[in-house]
Amino acid sequence: MHELSLVQGIINAVGETAREKGGRVQSVRIGVGELAQFDIRLVRGLLNDLKKGTSLEEARITVEPEKSKVKCLTCGRVWNFQELAGPISSDDREMMHFIPELLNSCSRCPNCSKSYFEIEEGRSVRIIEVVLDV
Amino acid sequence: MSESGLDFRRGMIDRRLAHTGRVLLVMSGKGGVGKSVVSAALAGIVASSGLTAGLMDADIYGPSSALLFGARGLPAEGESGLVPPVLNGVKVMSVDLFASGRPIPLAGSGANEVLLELLALTDWGNLDCLVVDMPPATGDIMLTLTSLRKRDVGALVVTMPDRLSTSVAHRVLELLKGGDVTTVGVLGNMVRGSSKDNETSPGRLAEEFGVPFLGLLPFDPLVSDAVEKGNVEALLRTKFARSLRRSMVAYLRGIRRSAP
Repeated sequence: MHELSLVQGIINAVGETAREKGGRVQSVRIGVGELAQFDIRLVRGLLNDLKKGTSLEEARITVEPEKSKVKCLTCGRVWNFQELAGPISSDDREMMHFIPELLNSCSRCPNCSKSYFEIEEGRSVRIIEVVLDV
Repeated sequence: MSESGLDFRRGMIDRRLAHTGRVLLVMSGKGGVGKSVVSAALAGIVASSGLTAGLMDADIYGPSSALLFGARGLPAEGESGLVPPVLNGVKVMSVDLFASGRPIPLAGSGANEVLLELLALTDWGNLDCLVVDMPPATGDIMLTLTSLRKRDVGALVVTMPDRLSTSVAHRVLELLKGGDVTTVGVLGNMVRGSSKDNETSPGRLAEEFGVPFLGLLPFDPLVSDAVEKGNVEALLRTKFARSLRRSMVAYLRGIRRSAP
């Protein structure tokens, strides 16, 4: 249940930013990348629970799923996790749940079969934007 | 105003390490000088001294800490994050607990992302000392770990006494100069024969940078036997480990003094 730690990390980071800048948090956009395979409802639920009594309590929080974008640095092919979802075992999915970059350890480019690729988008949970009324 | 690109993991790492007395980065800049074995032995020595020790394997491309300690399988998930397995009294975290011996071919910022994720997620609890087995090279990972927002981060520079190793260690010491990380000292490793300490290249290197010279660790064939067997207890009984303990005695006293 490391989602709890991550969501708490987000709330702390937004709170610290608001304190540093001296503003009230108006809105926060959170992206949930598909490679980490988080349950987006769980992330929303944790945010709703953990924001109570913090600087995010009154803020508008949106949680958006983010598709992955993986680019092969050998042939240039751009692909998505869903294109590979078949051959990836449940153990490998679990490994990526913690460390999305380990996609590189368990898959190859669907075009050229090389391992030299980079995750460009959709790795894990992230803060897309924080708006403060400064 | 709007803020984007806020990496919340940095704050998580600060919080995790707030319960750690000291962080010791074991580095050399070059591969093959014995950083991983020194790191493992040192973490074992800290633990066997009655202190709480952690070992973070920051060598993401070539992790070996889990293998050295015989740790296997995904770490357990606790309420506060990933719980590192405890082997020989040392809490061990490595990407290899996830990758299980498979290659980790990461491009671009991938290795640093893995490091940030592991540091952000690992619940070390209270530690007197976290030993970090650093990767070769002076790239992102070294820059990330030498920029931790934490006091009491030290660097132990390990080198073999040959010209190739010391020339790379020289670059590392140059990078550490004037930074926030305290250079704990220079340690010569895998030294054959006898020589007067300060006349060796590790000794001269320490003198050039005005940092402590911590001595020379002997080349000891029993080290590779212990490593082959994944036997940390046997490793700690070697002449190499006894020399390491003597070299680090002042540092160990320092940990003990600052321990709660």
